[in-house]
Amino acid sequence: MSSVAERMRAVAAERRRDLGIVAALIVLALLYPTVVGSLQSLPLVGDFVPSVDSMVNMVVFTTMAVGLNIVVGYAGLLDLGYVAFYAAGAYTAGWLASSQFSQLDAHLGDVGFSTGTPGIHVSMWLVLVIAGIFTTVVGIAIGLPTLRLRGDYLAIMTLGFGEIIPQFVRNGDSIGGFNLTNGTFGISPIDSLGFGGIGDAIGLPDSFRQSAERSQWFFWTAVAILLVTVFCSVRLRDSRLGRAWVAIREDETAAGAMGIPLMRTKTWAYALGAFFGGVAGAFYASFKAGAFPADFFFNISVFLLTMVILGGMGSVWGVILGGMVLGYLNVEGLATIGSKIQDAGVNFDPTKYQFGIYGVIIVLMMLFRPAGLIPERRHKIELIEGVHDTPFYDVQREGTLTDRDASDD
Amino acid sequence: MDKARTSPRRLSVPDTIGLAFVALLLVWLAINFVKGPQEFVNVALIGLTNGAIYGLVALGYTLVYGILQLINFAHGDVFALAGLVASSVIVSVLGLDTGSSIVVIVGGLLVTLVLIMSGFALFNASIERIAYRPLRNAPRLAPLITAIGMSFIVQNISLAFYGVDYQTVPNFISRSPVFEVGSVSYSWNKLTVLIIVVPLLVLLTWFVTSTRQGKAMRAVAQDTEASAMMGIDVNRTIGVTFMIAGALAGGAGIVYLLQFNMRYDTGFQLGLIAFTAAVLGGIGNLAGAVLGALTIGFIEAFNEGLTWNAPGSDWTRTIVFAILILILVFRPEGLLGERTPEGA
Amino acid sequence: MFLVGLLVAVAAFIAAGCGGGGGGGAPEALPSSSCTAIEYEGDGNPDYIVASDFPLQGSSRTQTVQINDAIRFELKQRSFKAGKYKIGFQACDDATAQAGKWDSGKASQNANAYAANDKVIGVIGTFNSGAAAIEIPVLNQAPNGGIAMISPANTYVCLTQGGPGCDKTEPDKYYPSGTRNYARVVANDAYQGAAVAEFAQSKGIKKVYVLNDKEAYGLGVATNFRNAATSLGIEIAGFEAWDPKASSYEALFKKIQGTGADAVFLGGLIDENGAQVIKDKVAVLGPNDGKVKLFAPDGFTTQQTIDEAGPAAKGMFMSVAGVPIDKFAGPAKEFAQKFEADYLKGKPIDPYAIYGAQAAQVLFDAIANSDGSRGDVIKQMFATQVTDGLLGSFKFNANGDPQDASGAVVGFTIYVATDKLTTETTISPKPEVVTAAAGG
Repeated sequence: MSSVAERMRAVAAERRRDLGIVAALIVLALLYPTVVGSLQSLPLVGDFVPSVDSMVNMVVFTTMAVGLNIVVGYAGLLDLGYVAFYAAGAYTAGWLASSQFSQLDAHLGDVGFSTGTPGIHVSMWLVLVIAGIFTTVVGIAIGLPTLRLRGDYLAIMTLGFGEIIPQFVRNGDSIGGFNLTNGTFGISPIDSLGFGGIGDAIGLPDSFRQSAERSQWFFWTAVAILLVTVFCSVRLRDSRLGRAWVAIREDETAAGAMGIPLMRTKTWAYALGAFFGGVAGAFYASFKAGAFPADFFFNISVFLLTMVILGGMGSVWGVILGGMVLGYLNVEGLATIGSKIQDAGVNFDPTKYQFGIYGVIIVLMMLFRPAGLIPERRHKIELIEGVHDTPFYDVQREGTLTDRDASDD
Repeated sequence: MDKARTSPRRLSVPDTIGLAFVALLLVWLAINFVKGPQEFVNVALIGLTNGAIYGLVALGYTLVYGILQLINFAHGDVFALAGLVASSVIVSVLGLDTGSSIVVIVGGLLVTLVLIMSGFALFNASIERIAYRPLRNAPRLAPLITAIGMSFIVQNISLAFYGVDYQTVPNFISRSPVFEVGSVSYSWNKLTVLIIVVPLLVLLTWFVTSTRQGKAMRAVAQDTEASAMMGIDVNRTIGVTFMIAGALAGGAGIVYLLQFNMRYDTGFQLGLIAFTAAVLGGIGNLAGAVLGALTIGFIEAFNEGLTWNAPGSDWTRTIVFAILILILVFRPEGLLGERTPEGA
Repeated sequence: MFLVGLLVAVAAFIAAGCGGGGGGGAPEALPSSSCTAIEYEGDGNPDYIVASDFPLQGSSRTQTVQINDAIRFELKQRSFKAGKYKIGFQACDDATAQAGKWDSGKASQNANAYAANDKVIGVIGTFNSGAAAIEIPVLNQAPNGGIAMISPANTYVCLTQGGPGCDKTEPDKYYPSGTRNYARVVANDAYQGAAVAEFAQSKGIKKVYVLNDKEAYGLGVATNFRNAATSLGIEIAGFEAWDPKASSYEALFKKIQGTGADAVFLGGLIDENGAQVIKDKVAVLGPNDGKVKLFAPDGFTTQQTIDEAGPAAKGMFMSVAGVPIDKFAGPAKEFAQKFEADYLKGKPIDPYAIYGAQAAQVLFDAIANSDGSRGDVIKQMFATQVTDGLLGSFKFNANGDPQDASGAVVGFTIYVATDKLTTETTISPKPEVVTAAAGG
């Protein structure tokens, strides 16, 4: 169809475009805290400009959505319990950077305390990485038994984990008498990010939370985490592993027959998706200063899934768009729109129905634009031209089980 | 061929673990029974009643899954909406209260039952028509994701009309015991659940096994393409299945409302439990759904009501979902070992 | 193409940045996703913002709306000024419409918004102790010395004082900066637990089963009640949590029936499926005025309980801090009359309105006496000495709890549910029982 050279050129152009987008995002992110005040004082549109704090929320959830996209979009594994990874990350931060384990007194690069605070206080920067690794382990632990299943059974299983983990956390104040999670109180406060004493010396804030520029530092950190996530995500997509994911997504049986190790490849998708969920969760816990069991309910998983679907499954830029749009609606947009509606004299509060609105978005997207706002090329072909692994009529024969059925037949 | 698959040859490692687990469970139950036989029976009766309600909801999941291989997430929310609407019908429209005569109450409840069951049969069929039918040929995950979206939509319809407050109806049916042996008793109120649920089950079984439409449903479930070639209207059959599921959800909503408080999100939790029940029994299998639901009902009640070494109500949901996960990993075909209503 | 677009965007951004600049000095409002617009009726623009933080949706709404109105009432009386400082007010909501009660995510989001806004000089709230546990540390670490926070309703003991009943890190972990910034005008749950236990004893209770909803408040007050009851010689038949998401509690009550308890205590909120708990209690253990009595703390003391539980609530005992509304005297009575005329339009006044007004007075006085910095407002708040105020006379101890109190602050009213809340009796718990309740 096209020569190798042409395709190389196309790839190079795509790469330039991606770099351009990234550069633009960095510039916008750097400028945002300084111009947000003026933007908000603009007539008409000013009320709709999100505050820097809202931007932090939006960016964190977008990061999680990009992580979820690896699992759902790349590998085609429907994960309805992604919130479990968010929880694992947040609680790792709680365990390693708060007074939760007051019987210990371990400090390692913590910032912004009166001295002698009991508990484990590891530098939050380090905690971000540890949280990612720990969550990856959790992801593998959940993945190994579940990934043998395909499609909807997998979805249900992840949903089961998504339901168990909040309750485990809620009841975790006495696991055999040991207070692991502090129950419904949650772990609070969790330490702030910050540059510590060295940062202080060169004019950077010791602790973000206690600094007057608190919001913008959290914002820049959030953007940095998002950029790393996006970078890894794009590299993964174009890697050998990424192609294996696509192969599995398109036709698992064929992919297996072609020698792709199914379990290992799927587990990698799970593990890497989990990693970013964990890092984002730990960061968010530090920003919010706490981890609470009530934060990790099923709706959050669906919210993240909606971001991926709206943007376009598998499409990194689409997911970022979907994430920022829905994130904005979630933290501020619906409330602003609601107050405008109420100013006009209509008693309707859209924030009350936010999840209903996400439901409408999901249904409309699946019915009318299943590939999302910015479709990923391969998904577009798959969804619009109707190439798919398990056509409806074959379901009975293919069954929902993979290994067991295949070996028995 | 399939028969050979399900016949036991030798025990695999997971099966051994599973059997050991079941044995432990039986020992635990036996010890609790010896320690307080009357309490045990009382708690079991509570489990039976709740299990029967779960069963009605579970049937809705299993019917739809059997025919479409779709986990209809919205089913639980349809159930909740039905219950809430029923509360309006009973309290506001019919104006029933505890002072009304028995004839009026029974008549009123029957009217509500018929209204709600037929209304939600249509409602559920419309959901299928609008949201699922256009996706008949889409990849498998598309309708599943849509079902999640529909679940949120229906839940928010409930929220819009009924708010976050719990809705309730007066205690029409006496809490006084039907029978009392020692401290073991069973109230009229609970008996009502069985009085409604059992005939519905019989009716459903008769419908699926003996009517023309029921046979069509089983044919479509077994092989859609072949049944289409044999002249069965597949779309219509699927529509009818959704109507039956909706009617069951409506019935379950009323039964639930007569026992408990309900609010807009009651259906989500209960839906998950009912779905677990359906998977436990063997999804797609009608008898399995009821068996699974009763099992879950008993497990919940025993966990909360028994005194010797029970984890307690804190852990009920964890236990239920752990069962779901264990079943999916070790015995995805469920207790009854068959994945379709006709037992292919 | 794309780069041109990018440049235009950046240029627009910078232009906006330069264009905005010199505003009229109006303080930036707290986000509209949680808070009302700034309410201010004085001259020019307010110097500072005082925010209130309560659940404005769900069953607590009747109470919290009145607390906010009481704050507005106080602010109006002062012509929107605290001393020389002009004060604007924003009422923020820590509840979500979906949950119908306070939400941890919302609470932490709000607290971070207060901390980020340097015009916020003080916060009145929260209503729920669990929310306070989240918000205090964030406000404590807020830039410029922390933000003063005063609550009219938090009763969880360990927010302010440590002791045998608290975790080793409580209350210090709520104050990571090392300086206190939180005070409350209500007696803590050691008092409430003691009051209910004494009342239960007077009703001849011998053996009680204690349930809780596991939340900060519910678990706390249940623990306090258990300790107080034990010290009074009441046997504890069991101590357990109920799961708010369960549909039925009958099995649980069957188990309680087996223990032979003659009373059940519900430590928690009506929001946590409390009505179903009450119904199932009655279904299994009989009516509340029968063999097995039912006691609940102020998380249940609202008309909502009676509305949702229906006839099952009848005969249930509920406690709340303060004297009964019909027995108000002095400044409280005066306030109640004016407040009813201005705000309530015939609705009955809720006891929490008085607490809200008292908290507002303390905070506004502290701001008036301060040099206008956040740190000094905190200092002035702790130096407060209330004499013959709405709740009687009291000052704050170093923990931020009322001390040397006389009058309403230490009294408790026990209501019994009929078709409304009917005053049963008032109790001032004995000091030794209060000590026992706290875990000593």
